[in-house]
Amino acid sequence: MEIIERIKTNKLIDNPTDIQKICLNKLQSNPLPNPKSELWRLSNKSKFSNFFEYSANEKNPNFDIPYHSNPKDIIRIVIGLDSQILLKKENYSIQQLNRDKLDKYIKQKISCFDQNEHWSDLLNLCLSSEKNILGLKIKGSKIPPIEIFSHALSNSLKAKTLVIFVEKDCDVKLLQVNLGKENSSLSQSTFFCLEENSSVNHGIVSYGERKSHLLNSLNVIQQKNSEYNLGSLHFKFNYARFEIRIKQSAGNAKTNIKGMQITKNNEQISTYTKINFNGPNGFLDQINKSIANDKSHAIFEGLIIVPKIAQKTDASQLSRNLLLSNFAQIDTKPQLEIIADDVKCKHGATISQLNEEELFYMRTRGITLTEASKLQLSSFFQEIISFIPISKDRWDLLDKLLNEN
Amino acid sequence: MQSKMKESDPILEVQNLFASTDNLPILKGVSMTVYPGEIHAIMGRNGCGKSTLSKIIAGHPSYNITKGNIKFSGENINSLEPEDRAQSGIFLGFQYPIEIPGVSNLEFLRVSTNARRKYLNKEELDTFDFEELVKEKLELVKMDHAFLSRSVNQGFSGGEKKRNEILQMALLQPKIAILDETDSGLDIDALRIVASGIKKISNAQTGIILITHYQRLLDEIEPDYVHVMADGQIIKTGGSDLALELEEKGYEWTDNLIKET
Repeated sequence: MEIIERIKTNKLIDNPTDIQKICLNKLQSNPLPNPKSELWRLSNKSKFSNFFEYSANEKNPNFDIPYHSNPKDIIRIVIGLDSQILLKKENYSIQQLNRDKLDKYIKQKISCFDQNEHWSDLLNLCLSSEKNILGLKIKGSKIPPIEIFSHALSNSLKAKTLVIFVEKDCDVKLLQVNLGKENSSLSQSTFFCLEENSSVNHGIVSYGERKSHLLNSLNVIQQKNSEYNLGSLHFKFNYARFEIRIKQSAGNAKTNIKGMQITKNNEQISTYTKINFNGPNGFLDQINKSIANDKSHAIFEGLIIVPKIAQKTDASQLSRNLLLSNFAQIDTKPQLEIIADDVKCKHGATISQLNEEELFYMRTRGITLTEASKLQLSSFFQEIISFIPISKDRWDLLDKLLNEN
Repeated sequence: MQSKMKESDPILEVQNLFASTDNLPILKGVSMTVYPGEIHAIMGRNGCGKSTLSKIIAGHPSYNITKGNIKFSGENINSLEPEDRAQSGIFLGFQYPIEIPGVSNLEFLRVSTNARRKYLNKEELDTFDFEELVKEKLELVKMDHAFLSRSVNQGFSGGEKKRNEILQMALLQPKIAILDETDSGLDIDALRIVASGIKKISNAQTGIILITHYQRLLDEIEPDYVHVMADGQIIKTGGSDLALELEEKGYEWTDNLIKET
């Protein structure tokens, strides 16, 4: 792991920015996360070390988006390519944050980072060059759907950072797409700040190719009366790790999360979530689904923190898993940490296989075992896919999933 | 007992069938033959093997045939997959139709119908053509079009589930339909709707096996043969009068018959 050695010796980057210096400094004494900690103990060490196999040097930023090049009524942004973004319309505006404000915000975030918990973000900010850090301020209503692409090309390690401020009363649909080409590593860190009365429908679709790796970190701060809906899907990475941290800064906010990870061959994909209620009357409805086939490994660890101040919190976390092979592995651990005494919180986990009786019923109607399994899987997928703000005519994601699983 | 169309070949022949699940013998030598146009009724106590027989004919993977044969249109189907049996014209109406959340009833019916049509070398139907076909069949079981947009059997009442089974039978046009306690859980009106649907679908080329506990279904659909099952065997076969006799004498009478045999 040459990169780690270079972090240790402070030789990672020539002419580092202030942010890179701060992050390098934080990582220098302990450049790797603690493998014994709850957050990292199940992480496959060899796959994790494969993340660092590729060069982090900037080269050939050209990237072909694998979908329609000129979408109508959609705002499309590719991190690292679009240099200046300023869209001002009658009802809304999308504006790129200036460098000083962006740096100030990120430095403030870094000051609160724990080396182990935020290791992915620290690494991301060490590696992200200035042009791969995008900050946006969005305000208004009737905003066309936004799509933001991050990608890593073959034989490269790329780090992309996205900071988004959603202003008061703003309502936005945003789809993030993370693409990992064959033999690549992508580090994506996203910071969302939802102001009062704002609403975000956020979709994350991450898919890779052979021997691709992903470290995807999402940090959300919700102010009161905001609503944050997240639909996410991660698949086809040799190693992928999705970390979600959401804080309802003053409670009185709504969070809905529907996420899914699909693993096959010997892939490992994990999701770690930490939802922190920092005020009363918070609401959370979370479901995480995993499907593991062949010799793959899917992991979910969810933590809901309800301190004393968060009275009347209503939180639910459910982990539903399908084990499709005798050699696949699923680890799931939904957890509640409750101090407040007047709350409604529940959590649960199920691991099952495809339902034999449903399969037989379909087969007695002439549907082949393969088709019947696909129909069952599609019903398992549907709840999540329908929650991702994605246009079906352009992204036939469900078909793609069914054909590949 | 009248004999219909014996000049044609049988649709289904169950020959001295023994079957087990988890090494537990369930069927202990069942034999029956169904010719085109015939309606057979199988009656018997709970646990006597009626439903198991229907599932084994449909190809349930949990059961092993340890001896004997099932022949469909003259071909041995002992090792045929359930979907192949269904495509070739065997239909099983479930006692407890399975709910499949997230799978739309319309899509499920379309995929099933096209699987059967493909086998029959008929053109597969696209969504629009299928909607036309299904609209016509819905009339048979007096089902509302809204059922099609719901998930398969999810949230359906007991009667609605059974009507959905008959709708599937109407779409698949099987050569033989085995209806496992289709009358259970139905009120009088629903029973009449279901029975009338079955009668309209069946014809001189179709064989029907009705598995039931009660005479009331057989009042609506008169069987040509009634078989009484007990302890994994058919212990008595007769005409429709046998069902009336069974209704009158109860299953204790069959217990005595077993002792006698």
